[in-house]
Amino acid sequence: MKGTLEKFELAIIDGNADGSADLADVIVAEGRATPAEIFAHLSSAMEEVGAKYETGEYFIPEMLRSAEAVEKAMSVLETYLFERKDGQAGIVVMGTVKGDIHNIGKNIIVSALRAAGYEVHDLGVNVSAKKFVDKVKETGADLLLLSAFTTSTKPALLEIIALLKTEGLRDRVKVLSGGASHSQAFADEVGVDGFAADVKSTLEVCRRLMGES
Amino acid sequence: MNSRERFLAVLAGEIPDRVPIVPVVDGYFAPKVIGRANDECYLDGACLADALAASMTEFGYDGAIAEMGLGPEPSVLGCPVEIEGNDVPLVVETIVGGRDDLENLIIPDPWSGGKMEPVERLVAAVGADQAVLGSVRSPFEYAATVRGLVEFMTDFYRDPGFVHDLIDAVRPATVKLAEALADAGVDAVVLKDSFASTSMISPDHYREFAFPSECDAIAEIAGRIPVILHICRNSMPILADMARTGAAVLEIDSPVDLAAAKAAVGSAVILKGNIDAVTVMEKGGAADVEAAVEAAMGAAKAGGGFILSTGDSIPRPAPEANLAALVEFGERYGNY
Ligand code: B12
Repeated sequence: MKGTLEKFELAIIDGNADGSADLADVIVAEGRATPAEIFAHLSSAMEEVGAKYETGEYFIPEMLRSAEAVEKAMSVLETYLFERKDGQAGIVVMGTVKGDIHNIGKNIIVSALRAAGYEVHDLGVNVSAKKFVDKVKETGADLLLLSAFTTSTKPALLEIIALLKTEGLRDRVKVLSGGASHSQAFADEVGVDGFAADVKSTLEVCRRLMGES
Repeated sequence: MNSRERFLAVLAGEIPDRVPIVPVVDGYFAPKVIGRANDECYLDGACLADALAASMTEFGYDGAIAEMGLGPEPSVLGCPVEIEGNDVPLVVETIVGGRDDLENLIIPDPWSGGKMEPVERLVAAVGADQAVLGSVRSPFEYAATVRGLVEFMTDFYRDPGFVHDLIDAVRPATVKLAEALADAGVDAVVLKDSFASTSMISPDHYREFAFPSECDAIAEIAGRIPVILHICRNSMPILADMARTGAAVLEIDSPVDLAAAKAAVGSAVILKGNIDAVTVMEKGGAADVEAAVEAAMGAAKAGGGFILSTGDSIPRPAPEANLAALVEFGERYGNY
């Protein structure tokens, strides 16, 4: 017999939103699982979903379906997880940069980070440098994740880095960038601290950078 | 053979003097050729038509793509659209939050609001010697656009019935615009189904949602005018289905292996493609363009039924020299 958390993880992988919400109710009712355990199962589910996409078993609708299952589960689990802060991984500000409106990859990462226990402030798409920097200031974010899908967004990324420096925040927040048509070389040129191309490596880089901060 | 005869010969199933060259030069790239900004041209029909005509004259390819203008109140079926600087027009707000909102959709009158002005002006400017293609969104793409791509694709599992109803509700827009383009005298219509590719959705979802709506729309359009079905990125797993939609031409993108595509569809349809618009046309140089063109000709020229093209719109930042190279090498390697 599988335990509740294992079933919960499978429901997320299968993108069964109702099932994941029901199992979240059971988790709350049972009251045994620690936030750290819950986040471990949630993030392992989203890593699996990302892996299925990379190997061509899943397509975008299947990833979105799992992201929705995470969001539904989180709305049930919020109070439970929030009351017991020990699982919290860090504070993240994320958005798609100015001049760019691609949001699918960003939304997937937002859900994966929430699943991994981060408090995520999603600013949406076409976000100005000022809005990013203001939010970093307001939330005391540990990580700033910038989605940029077209290569013409380079000036927008550079502007954000420059503004963080002007505001004296560059040393206080780790910056990651990513998105379709993004490469490590591009990330290096822009001067961010980390880059990743899929769900699993994004979570890994975030974990590594949190360890450094 | 002049350019238009060459293009029409391929549509008629004949072998022309050489492979026609019809790259996807639209309002993303063409304004650069006349030194104007993209937003100026999309908002001013004369500017857009002049840019598209000037680009074809300057580079000497065989057919232009007559994009519609945005008109004074840019909108996609009621969703507000913005264009800024040298970007492309973007839908900034979606209006279909649920089933009740289907009645808010506005099926546009193609002949109102100056949308057809660039098309008519371009057709007149080009004359009879070169081809002009029109371009419309497919019902599937319209549906994704008015719903928002993320919500739309989440609906595939959440409420598939709604996806079908939404697609049916927007289909008249595709059909009406295509008919208007036919009335304006274009030679063929490109039906753009950018989100239907297997880079985005599974072959099963393609068959469930996109394919039937392509068939329905094409059944209504193809009696008037030949249809070129465009699907971005990878479409190899669904190519045989695409060949059964009633489209005369499949416009395929760079992830598809052209030789394999030709083997898969045989002589059932014409192929148009598939030089990479970003890695070759934008980021590459003349040598990359030459290599890509030579390879494409090697894969698909034999036996006819091939139109040389980019796989997708050429981006504004692409060097003009690369478009010149596409035409030069297309002419060099394309003779029959
Ligand atoms: C869907 C799509 C669109 C849709 C977007 C709808 C939406 N709501 O998002 C629409 C039609 C609006 C669109 C418009 C345009 N697009 Co577009 N689009 C795509 C497409 C087909 C898929 C993108 C996608 O969602 N992929 C799936 C997700 C899951 O993958 P992902 O985005 O890479 O995200 C993953 C990782 O990158 C990572 N990740 C994402 N964000 C972050 C952030 C951080 C910090 C980290 C660490 C990781 C990370 O995690 C995700 C998990 O897997 C791509 C082609 C492609 N194959 O990618 C082109 C693509 C991105 N688009 C492109 C272009 C050029 C455009 C346009 C400029 C022009 C045009 N003619 O289409 C406009 C511009 C719009 C604008 N100003 O933003 C180009 C960019 C090329 C380049 N080198 O600049 C691409 C690559 C297509 C191509 N021609 O090659 N597009």
